[in-house]
Parts: sequence; C-alpha cells; structure tokens
Amino acid sequence: MIGLVSYLVFFLILSLIFGIAVLGLNLQWGFTGLFNAGVAGFIGIGAYTMAILTGPSRDAVFGGFELPFVIGLIGAMVVSGIAALAVGIVTHKLKHEYLAVATFGIAVTIQLVCLNWEYLTGGTLGLIGIPNPTKDLAEGPLAQNALFLCIVISLGLITFIAIENIVKSPWGRMLKAIREDEIASSSLGKDPARIRLEAFVLGCMAMGLSGALYVSFIGYVSPWDFLPILTFQIWTMLIVGGSANNRGALLGALIVWGVWTMSGYVISNVVPSEIQAQGGAMQAILIGLILVVMLLLRPRGLIGEELQVSRHARSLND
Amino acid sequence: MLKKLSLAALSVAAMSLGTGALASDCTIKLGAVLPVSGPMGQVGERIANTGQFAVDQFNEAGGVKGCKVEYVLRDTQGQSTVGVDAAKSLVDLEGVQALIGAVSSGVSLPILTSVAVPSKITQVSCCSSSESFTALAEEGKTDGFWFRTYATNRSQSAMGAYLTTKSGFKNTAVIYVNTDFGVGLAKRFEQDIAKLGGSISTMVAYNESQQSYRAEVTKALQGNPDSLFLVAFPVDGATITREWLALGGTDNLIVNNSLRSDDYFQAVGSKYLQNLQGYDSAQPRLPSVASFNEMFEARFDGPPNGPGLHSVYDAVSVVLLAMEASGDITGTNIRDNIRAVTSPDGVEVVVGPEGFKKAKELLAAGKTIRYVGATGALSFDKNGDVQAPKMTWKLDGDKNVETGYMSTAEVAELIEKLDN
Repeated sequence: MIGLVSYLVFFLILSLIFGIAVLGLNLQWGFTGLFNAGVAGFIGIGAYTMAILTGPSRDAVFGGFELPFVIGLIGAMVVSGIAALAVGIVTHKLKHEYLAVATFGIAVTIQLVCLNWEYLTGGTLGLIGIPNPTKDLAEGPLAQNALFLCIVISLGLITFIAIENIVKSPWGRMLKAIREDEIASSSLGKDPARIRLEAFVLGCMAMGLSGALYVSFIGYVSPWDFLPILTFQIWTMLIVGGSANNRGALLGALIVWGVWTMSGYVISNVVPSEIQAQGGAMQAILIGLILVVMLLLRPRGLIGEELQVSRHARSLND
Repeated sequence: MLKKLSLAALSVAAMSLGTGALASDCTIKLGAVLPVSGPMGQVGERIANTGQFAVDQFNEAGGVKGCKVEYVLRDTQGQSTVGVDAAKSLVDLEGVQALIGAVSSGVSLPILTSVAVPSKITQVSCCSSSESFTALAEEGKTDGFWFRTYATNRSQSAMGAYLTTKSGFKNTAVIYVNTDFGVGLAKRFEQDIAKLGGSISTMVAYNESQQSYRAEVTKALQGNPDSLFLVAFPVDGATITREWLALGGTDNLIVNNSLRSDDYFQAVGSKYLQNLQGYDSAQPRLPSVASFNEMFEARFDGPPNGPGLHSVYDAVSVVLLAMEASGDITGTNIRDNIRAVTSPDGVEVVVGPEGFKKAKELLAAGKTIRYVGATGALSFDKNGDVQAPKMTWKLDGDKNVETGYMSTAEVAELIEKLDN
C-alpha cells in the first residue's frame, strides 16, 4: 500500500512537471497557433540554468553558485525567456511548418551545445549533485517526494491560473484572433508579429520552469535528457488532452505519461519471462495504439477548446 | 541397517521435497531496467536475455534461499524519464531490493540519484562507463549503493603512464584528440605520469579529420621530447605519426588502444613503428570465462559477442549471491554483502549452476567466497568500480606481439598507487 502511494506521488511529480511544459506549449500552439517543435531545447535551457545556479561548484566547469532553489527557478525562467526572445526575433517571420523546422533545428542545436560545451554544461558527463530542496526539510524518500509534489502542484497551479487569466484577458483574445485570421487582426490595428513573439516567450518560460523542476527533482542533468522524443511527448500530451484548453493540457500530461509508463508495468506482468526482452517492442506498439485510438475517438482531444461567443451576441440556440 | 537406510532415504526425500516445495512456494524479485527498445534496443535486448540466462542458471542451482528468482524486466526506451519511472515502479510496486541497469550512463545516473539511493536499493550496471559515477561516489552521494561490472576508462591513462615510465622516458610530448574521450585521457595521463616520475614537455590537442597536422606536430616537437604519447584514432593517428617522424620526432611512440589496428600500421609503415608500444584491454585468461562462453553458445546458438553480455551476467550473479549471503533481503544487506561474495581471500567459485550451487553451500557454511565470473574475478573498489586486465603490445616486423599481461589485481594496484 505504501509502495503504491509512494509510486503515485513519484508519478504525479513527473507528470505535473511535464504538465507545466504542456501548459507553455498550449499558450503557443493552442491559443496562438505557433508550431514550436523545439520544446525539448527550452526545457533543457531551464534545466541547465537551474543546475548551474543551484549546483555545487566543480573544477573546470562554470557555475556551481549554490544559490537557493527559488532563485534557480526564477533564473531558469528568465534565461529560457531570453533564449526564446532571441529565437523569436530571428524566426518572427516564419509561420506554421517553417517555424516548426526552424525551432526543431534550434532544439537539436541546443542539445549539441550542451553535449560539447564542457565548460558550461559538463559535456557528456553532465552535471551531478544538483540539490533537491526537500532533502533538508523531510526524512525519508516518501516524505521528501510528497513535499516535492506540493511544490510542483503549487507551481503548476500558479502557471495554470496565470495562463488562464492571460488567455481570458483582452490580450488573450488577440492571440486567438491572430491564430484564426492574421490579416483580419492586423486590419484592426494589432501587431501580430509582436504578439506572437510575446506568446512564444511566455510559453518558453513555462518550459524552462518545467526543466528546472525536473533537474532539482532528479538531481542530475545530461544532454541525453533533451532528445527530440521529449518534444514529441509534450506535443502528444497537448493533442491528446485537448489543445487550447488548459485543463486539457494538464489532463493530457497525466494520461499520456500514464499510458507511457503503465504500459511498461502491464507488459512486464503479462508477458511470459522467456520473451520479456521483446516486451519493449510490444510496449511501443501499445502506446502508439492507445494514442491513435484516443485521437480517432476524440479528434479534438479529451477536453477540447471551449466554444467562446461574445457575451454581447445572442445565444447560439436562439 | 534397514532403519538407517530408510532414515537416509527419508531425509533425502524430505530434502528434495523441501527444496522443491520451497522453490515453487516463494519468489524473490530482481528488477532490471534496460533499453530493450529505442536506439539501444538491439544491444539492450541481448543484454536483457543474458540477464535472464543468469537468473535461470541461479534458479537451476536452487534459487536464492530456496526461493525462485523472478527476473522483472522493464524497458527504459533509452530515455531517462522512462527509465526513472520504470525503476521507481519496480521498487514501489514490485518490491525489488536490487536493480540491474541501465545501459547508458545518462539513464543509470538519474535512476541512481532519484530512486536507488533515496530508497536504499542496490543498483548494479553492466555497461555505464561515465566518470560521473566515480565522482558521485567520491562525494559520498551514492551511499555505496552503486556498483558496475564494466571496467572504467580510468586504467587507460594509467597504462599509458606505466608504459612510458617503464621504458625510461623522461620527457614526453602528448598529442590527443579533442573529444571528451581524448581530453579526459590526456588530463589523467598528465597527473599519472607525474606520480610515476615522468614529465610532460607539451600537450597538444588536435581536431579530427584534418588534411595535415603540421602545426600541431611542430608545436609538440618543442621542448625536445624523448617520446610521444599519442591518443588518436587510426586515420588521423597515421597522418600525425607520419608528419611527426618526417619532422624529426623520436620513434619512441606510446599509443592508446584504438591505434592497435592494421589500418594504422599499414598507413604509417610497420618498419617505422618498431619502437612503438601500446596497451589494450585483455580477455581474462580464466577457465570461468571460457566456460561462460560455452554455456552461452549452448543456450543462444551463437558466441557472446557484443557489449555488456559478460558484464550483465556478472552483475546479476553478484547480486543474487549477495542476496543469498544476506539475512533479510534488503537493498542495504545486498550492498553490504556484494563485497563478501567477491572477497579477494574468499573461496573461489565459478559461473554456471554448479558454481552457484557450490557458492550457496559455502555461504550456508558461513564462508566468504570469491566469485570468479564471466569477466574474471571481480573486485569492486570503494566507489563500486571494477578493473579489467590489460595487455601491452608492440610490433615485431609486421606482427603485432604481446609484450606483457597485467591481471585485474595488478591493474587495480597500479591505479591505487596513482590515486593516492
């Protein structure tokens, strides 16, 4: 029983950390229509910033400032925001698949820089010993993880409320207007390029936060944590959960990560031991199958976008 | 007489019944987190099957404390997040006390820091080679729960320094490839050679795949070195060596293991390399290795060629033996008993069901044992690392001949000397 609780806490931490990144992507894709295929890169920037700011100092590697956890979180968001600003300015003329290809390339570049810039990132060896803030506050892994879960829930909730408020504000309506028809919105005197850039930066800051939380939870960061598969996972979470719906984004993170991990548990318990090594392939098939079926049954995601009608208009049913 | 006989028969029956009944009654789970799909899938699947093979052989020998060992394999997909979750679920939901895995260091390390160490679970990897594990252990952050049966790269620079100083060279130039492998090795070499009484004239890094390395070679020739330690791969290594010799560099060459290649010898010309010396890993010459290879062939219809097969067999065996030696089977007890079953002054036991049976008897009699496995006799240092035997070689005409063999113990002793 304790084992189950302990595992659930662990599972929730990881899925909520993903969830925060999904919220960021939702702001970009769901509300603004920005095809960011470089999610892993921005999570990585947040993760390394956290590791450099809060980690222990090492010979021949920059950083190790041993700053408090909160400073690390803020720093991670700021640095990933700045990186997003730079990327956004360069790519502001690109839309749709062009932006996707460009951001994908940027994420791969970021990963390669992490791999090779030893002085900053420790290279292939990664950075070890990143402190977990709950280690001094509680005894035993379960209590520590439960405390960490509280931190992740609070930050997830703050991100959720912040993005909800943003998209409900007049500025948020502008995002949707740009997503739906850019020409129409510029004819109203809006500046789509600027607003897209703002949404891009805000979304990437959430991704940076997610990376920072991941690093302090795991205690280690290496370039292998930010391969393109991570971008794919975050996207799947958003699409399955329902893009342009923040509750859908969080639900998608829970469900997709649940499918991803529980399929392994199921396979290892069902498959006879002689062919266990083939279980990996079966797990991959199972994950793919469940996702495809979900999308076939609910193409707009589990909870899709809520229909929004101006409160000045008459009800649709009339 | 009759009474005695029947009593004997009864006790034999009871014994076989006893073990038979026990073996089916209880199970002990051993967790494995390996990349059986994803980019490492091909390698990982063979490693996973070999792990199962070791478990099967242990069960043939009667299992752990009469209980059947169940090998619970989970896939990491080569991804740290998936691996970490799989490990946590093995520990929390399956109740395993020991984990085998993972393959990539980038997956093993997150598992170690976020699952194994906090939950006090022993983790033994077959294949992770990163130096970060040693660093983490040195800082006391593994609490001793980390072991690996894969020899680290630590010995490479030690062997280079050993060969250089043994040949009486006093002033050595170093040219090394500018990758994490080359940089790490060269830096270690610099420290090691100082300990052995040699010295370095210049250290020059080179970038791969250039047409010419004249600039690097010229720089390395400054300071009149009496020898060159070259860390390179065959193609670039040949270019560098040719230019080095053409510009009047000494032919006292010490090279790393990647240059033990006919491509390199032919590209430079063997006759110019008669004073070259090198080192390489050696297969331990032990009956246990040969008998593992035989048993493996019988089971899988093919020789155990491929990374990690010998070392995962030993990882599993050592953990199961440590479980057998433990009172209660907990991660902490397994950790503490791993050294008791690989003790240098223990009774030697070998691989296979017969070996495990003997090991179990010895452990039951309260003896310490020394497991001599598929990779030879394992001896874990304080950081959970092992060493592999090494050999030294040179060229005699066109022939590559072995000039020396250093057993695991001798390599470990050399490194001990260099580290302290």
